[in-house]
Amino acid sequence: MSLIELQEVSKLYGFGDATNVALDEVSLTIEPGECVAVMGPSGCGKSTLMNVIGLLDHPTHGVYRLSGNYVSRLHQNQRAKIRRDKVGFIFQSFNLLTRMTALENVALPLLYKGQSIGRRTRKAYEMLERVGLSDRGYYYPRQLSGGQMQCVAIARALVNEPQLIIADEPTGNLDSASSRLVMELLSEIHKSGNTVIFVTHNPELTRYATRVVYMHDGGIIHDEHTKLGEVGRYARQVMYAIPKTTEEDDLAGVSVLMKALPGKHKPKTPRKKTTHKKTNSRKTVRKKS
Amino acid sequence: MSTMRRGNILQATQSLKNAKARSFLTMLGIVIGVMAVICVVCIGQGVKQQIGNRVDHFGKDLITIRPGNNNDSTFGNGVLLASRLSLSTSSLLTTNDLKAVQDTPGVRLSVPLSTLPGSAEGDNRVDSPLVIATGKDLPEAINQKIAFGGFFGDDNHPNIVVLGPNLAQQLFDERVPLGRSLNFHGQNFVVGGIFAPFDAAPFSLSADFNNALFIPFAAAQAIDANALGIYQILAKPDKPSNAQAVAKAMQTNINRERGDSHDVSVLTQSSSLDASNQIVHLLTLLTVGVAAIALVVGGVGIMDVMLVSVTERMHEIGLRKAIGATNQQILRQFMTEALVLSTAGAIIGGLLSLLVIVILRWFTGLHPVVVWQAFVLAMGLAVVTGAVFGTAPALKAARKDPIEALRNQ
Repeated sequence: MSLIELQEVSKLYGFGDATNVALDEVSLTIEPGECVAVMGPSGCGKSTLMNVIGLLDHPTHGVYRLSGNYVSRLHQNQRAKIRRDKVGFIFQSFNLLTRMTALENVALPLLYKGQSIGRRTRKAYEMLERVGLSDRGYYYPRQLSGGQMQCVAIARALVNEPQLIIADEPTGNLDSASSRLVMELLSEIHKSGNTVIFVTHNPELTRYATRVVYMHDGGIIHDEHTKLGEVGRYARQVMYAIPKTTEEDDLAGVSVLMKALPGKHKPKTPRKKTTHKKTNSRKTVRKKS
Repeated sequence: MSTMRRGNILQATQSLKNAKARSFLTMLGIVIGVMAVICVVCIGQGVKQQIGNRVDHFGKDLITIRPGNNNDSTFGNGVLLASRLSLSTSSLLTTNDLKAVQDTPGVRLSVPLSTLPGSAEGDNRVDSPLVIATGKDLPEAINQKIAFGGFFGDDNHPNIVVLGPNLAQQLFDERVPLGRSLNFHGQNFVVGGIFAPFDAAPFSLSADFNNALFIPFAAAQAIDANALGIYQILAKPDKPSNAQAVAKAMQTNINRERGDSHDVSVLTQSSSLDASNQIVHLLTLLTVGVAAIALVVGGVGIMDVMLVSVTERMHEIGLRKAIGATNQQILRQFMTEALVLSTAGAIIGGLLSLLVIVILRWFTGLHPVVVWQAFVLAMGLAVVTGAVFGTAPALKAARKDPIEALRNQ
């Protein structure tokens, strides 16, 4: 039985003319034990897909079955319980509660399960040990590095022993060394039998995945199975996904701004200069895309 | 689920600690509301009891007869001797009235109260002390003990006087000048007894019996029968339960004797007590109402702070929901916070009102009573207010869509 089964799932925002299609009849089946990387440009619906799979959001149309159960039309509280017991979330911005220690953060899902403080602490400590931060239990998030914070977040996601780990750009805010650390951890979790879905912009990170899904404009445009340690075949080609700013782009932005400023009539020569620069930079942009 | 609740309380105190100033100010509203309610009730009760004590001291069956028609004014306080100076001779009682009182069936004892001008001379001279000419039953009528010696008996020893404790000190420079003699209006009197100290102004606010010289009524009549007017007659019925009936009969007797002039009033303690109690009760109710409004305003303050807190922590709410908190669990968390605020405010308010009561007892004439019902009521009301006004913000938090909440940074 598949763990995740999406059938023509759509997610629409807004009404009438302003309707915005975030997911456009997406069908996707994920088996237990897979490690899926999701790639695609910003705004293509990756996060919405993650939210729907993680039961944070419910689809406007379509059917979603999670380990055989229809979950797309469940009540909020039932969805909350499934999130608590079956899904572990990892966010780009870590989302740790700043006023709680690392240990308390990790133990939080257990609190909502109604476990006693002793069991919560023991379990949370085990999880911190697993991510290698057992000596940082009483640190506050602000006292930890980005990588460490994400490790705490991973420990929190694992503490309820969920089948499914959903990571929405887990390395988006991290430098490459920390990224590696976090991804090694995720792949370890995957190897121990969990299903992992992660969103990334970095083609190199598809090495950790057994399957790469490419998205564009709310739909899945390509879906391939890869071997662990191999970069997805098309991953490097989705270069548009990588945000790139050069000095020229900056200058272009400045000149557009200066032109757009109302009521400021500049002498002719500098204006010519800016138009010149603008056309120049436009060409570069076009070349890139 | 108790661990959940304990966790909630811990979390709530934690998050309140993080916004100390704001939490304190919110709590202040509740504290002041609780204090206002409790203090007003306790002071009101204290005043009631003070009046009651005064009445109890004389005995509930004491009947007061005094000149003037005071029956229609409910404010009349039967035990108040209007200032002895302000009474004009025309409106005094006479010995005929005294006789009418004595002749009323069911009267066990009756004593006149009248004053004489003049100065007394013992070892020292005291100019114009309060000289009260009265009957032998005065100590029983006003329930006052004689500390030393005894009160003068029947008229067979007309030249015995009794002193208030302070006057004894002033006249003779000693506490117990029993058997010493003093001169009043050229007559010699022997000190036969010293009164035990009177409670603070038991009879009237202006006449202090601690400084009074009590002489037999007959002796006073012998000195100057014309100048002697009776300000007040005190009487007691044979059975306390008869007080009302006896007072009524007395009124009829006096009216008949006076030719229906209706210028003498007969008052029982209970009638005057009822009137004053009613006034205190009404005033207490009024002020409690105002204080309750303060409490409700405090509740609005809680709602305000909770709303700000919910808005501020939208992201946190989103995260908690993402990792599996149900609506009820979020609701409970914020309700707990509101309840912790209001409960803490209620407790602090209760403690502070105790302090205020102690201070009032020490430094003012008021004697507030600790009315535990007021404490329970005010503090309970504060907690309920917190719960009621905490509900709306908590519901707002609980119903938030997790994704929308998470988007708030």
